[in-house]
Amino acid sequence: MRKRTYALLMAAAMAATTVTGCGSSGNGGSGNGGLGSPAGETTTAAAAQASEGNKEGAATAPAEFSYPMAAGDKLQYWCDLTTTVSANYSNLGETPFGQGWQKNTGVEIEFLHPPTGQMKEQFSLILADGNLPDLMEYNWTVDYPGGPEKAIKDNVIMPLNDIFAQYCPNITKYLEENPDIDRMIKTDEGHYYVFPFIRGDENLMNTIGLMLRKDWLDELGMEVPTTIDEWHDVLTAFKDKKGCIAPYSFEYTNGQYLGADPFVAAFGVNRSFYLGSDGTVHFGATEPGFKDYLATMNQWYSEGLIDPDLATLKNDQVSAKITNGQAGASMGQAGSRMGTWTTAARSTTPEFTLVPAPVPTLEKGGQAEMGYIENPFSGRASVAVTTSCKDIERAARLMDWAYGEEGHMFFNFGIEGESYTMVDGYPTYTEAILNNPDGLPVSQAMSAYIRGNYNGPFVQDIRYLEQYYTMEEQRQTPIVWGQCNGAAHTMPPITPTSDESKEFSTIMNEINTYRDEMILKFIFGTESVDNFDTYVKNIENMGLARALEIQNAALDRYNAR
Amino acid sequence: MKEKNPRNSFGYRMKRDWIRNRSLYILVLPVLLFYILFHYKPMYGAIIAFKDYTPTLGVSGSPWVGLENFIRFFKSVYFGRLIKNTILLSVYSLAFGFPAPIILALLLNEVRNKHFKNVTQTITYLPHFISLIVVTGMLTDFSMTSGLFNDMIAFFGGERSPLLQNPKLYRTMYVASGIWQQVGWGSIIYLSALAGVDQQLYEAASIDGAGKWKQLLNVTLPGIAPTIIIMLIMRVGQLMSMGYEKTILLYNPSTYDTADIISSYIYRVGLMEQDWSYSTAVGLFNSVINFCLLIVTNKISRKFSETSLW
Repeated sequence: MRKRTYALLMAAAMAATTVTGCGSSGNGGSGNGGLGSPAGETTTAAAAQASEGNKEGAATAPAEFSYPMAAGDKLQYWCDLTTTVSANYSNLGETPFGQGWQKNTGVEIEFLHPPTGQMKEQFSLILADGNLPDLMEYNWTVDYPGGPEKAIKDNVIMPLNDIFAQYCPNITKYLEENPDIDRMIKTDEGHYYVFPFIRGDENLMNTIGLMLRKDWLDELGMEVPTTIDEWHDVLTAFKDKKGCIAPYSFEYTNGQYLGADPFVAAFGVNRSFYLGSDGTVHFGATEPGFKDYLATMNQWYSEGLIDPDLATLKNDQVSAKITNGQAGASMGQAGSRMGTWTTAARSTTPEFTLVPAPVPTLEKGGQAEMGYIENPFSGRASVAVTTSCKDIERAARLMDWAYGEEGHMFFNFGIEGESYTMVDGYPTYTEAILNNPDGLPVSQAMSAYIRGNYNGPFVQDIRYLEQYYTMEEQRQTPIVWGQCNGAAHTMPPITPTSDESKEFSTIMNEINTYRDEMILKFIFGTESVDNFDTYVKNIENMGLARALEIQNAALDRYNAR
Repeated sequence: MKEKNPRNSFGYRMKRDWIRNRSLYILVLPVLLFYILFHYKPMYGAIIAFKDYTPTLGVSGSPWVGLENFIRFFKSVYFGRLIKNTILLSVYSLAFGFPAPIILALLLNEVRNKHFKNVTQTITYLPHFISLIVVTGMLTDFSMTSGLFNDMIAFFGGERSPLLQNPKLYRTMYVASGIWQQVGWGSIIYLSALAGVDQQLYEAASIDGAGKWKQLLNVTLPGIAPTIIIMLIMRVGQLMSMGYEKTILLYNPSTYDTADIISSYIYRVGLMEQDWSYSTAVGLFNSVINFCLLIVTNKISRKFSETSLW
């Protein structure tokens, strides 16, 4: 009997090992903390040392400086590897872009990438671990808890004011010429904190919009819809006459698309915060217009005009539905969606054509007030110098290069003679990019040589887009999607103070979860739109007024910058 | 000072035991290290539940905030729902998921055709080796309006509907897919226990006139009862520790009602919003409940049967 009990215990212990091995990851949050090291002390010392070095460096004439720099420390550079790169390369350092950047600046870079789609999680883990790469590309403006000023106070990243002044003539010049951008990339306290990603032309700021099948419209004798009612008619026709099972389908699980939704904009609101005409911050999801939006969507959904699987839709499912004719309208970018889908679908359906549609209005003939127009600086893909960085001058010079003439051309067009040639003073992509011999799509061929077609720490050039859009319909998108007054309602990159920020995120965490859940319930009809008032009341009880107060205070500080 | 027989001193006995069972000690060492490194050392980090943790200040440098994080969780509008969902999902998983491998093992045990038995076993094991992300991907696709499940529903005259957007179906999907994936693997331990039941008992029972059913009730089940009870105690101890992986892969805002559990909430708040202290507090709360459940089950088990973990 005893023996058997032991045997059982052994078996139990083994089973426990395997089970807990997988099971305990649920409360893994507690595990991460143990690794935190007193990084603060060592890094402040390093920073102090470095700033001493700065003064000496400044004393010797900075004009003598030229690229490439002399050999020195290898720098660690952490950034997301975008899908158009990861399709062919496992590391940015393997691409002609990565190699050229190192060669031109003379700085050796070790690129580190989070697993695809896990940037935020990985960022959390790196911070919790305390062992920071020298340079980190991230949305420091929005996605660092507590905001950028807190990141500086937490001793995670360095304020860049002195660094800009001493080592960064290019970006300093750019900011002097563009005071509106200068205001955006500072904190309220006046600290610079990143080498920013800047969209250098307003046509680069409205990259997401509605699109639908032009060949079907022609066949049915219909026009591109401009009002909600016309959309209803078109989608109904797609369903009845073209046999669509999901006339309007889009990637609902992509937060960026939800924020850009033109159908929400049609009702003069936004899913989240926006700048009202009165100059204060509003929360769209509780306003009367939003109720009308929900009622309309609920009607469309029950009539079978919206993809029934809405809540679980990912890109591959939407792509399949659009290209095989199960869906006739969608939302997305002109390049990675409209272009990719058209190319894919034409192999079987040669007449397949997607055209952009403007932000719908409620009444015919008007122009939409709201609409998705980004700020030139959204915070995304901007690089901060962390406190772990030892050779600050090296890091700063590396980053500043991109804002100069040479770096600007390199980031946007790549290597002259390989990826572009100058034709009458216009940088023209070569055949290797636009018509890749290995059969790579333009987006992938570009991503090997440049960052101009996605993002990064540089000023994006409109001349990339002019060539990236190879179809006439794509070239129309900036004009069609820009037909709205959205820019006036986009929230500027405001930053709450670190104290407010925690309170703000606690409140918004609850509100956003509730809002996301209720929106779907309203659309699916599991909750009647008549209960909208209860929904608003619940959100107000979660502390919306306080959240708005924090946002408005931040806006005031921003305006006072 | 009392003079003791040196042969009875602790050190001496330890030494002798070490010499005699050296290989066993070496064998157990990795497991011991595993527990120390991955289960005891991280416990130190749990104190950030009582702090306002900032990575650069470190665990010891961050300021204390007392029970603030716990109070915030208890006051949260989602507190009730999270607890309810976690418990219900666990209880369903236990109620349906626990007996399944036992039943499978008993059935397999009765199969006399060796070939058929092996094939069945292999087929039921296989899903265990499919990555969770693939399983949930399949589930998501099958549950779409045009997916396999809906094809079957439509074939039998039902109405097509997006299954994963229906909060009422979520728990069924979650539990059933879990059983499908783990039933074969889980039955292994019971099969080995069944192999240990004395064959003479069966002979004796059949001489006494017991049929298959009576043999099952009076010989087989009592034979594997200790295994079942140990497994049950361990399962109950994990009742509240539902992993977040499957949930975050399967749920969407329309099913939060039934799908959102404590660990997925921790994931969203802790990793996505980087509120480490808060999520640690929630995790700690969860562990404490688990611990209590384990102790209670063990007590009950010791009272009603002779088997217990300690």
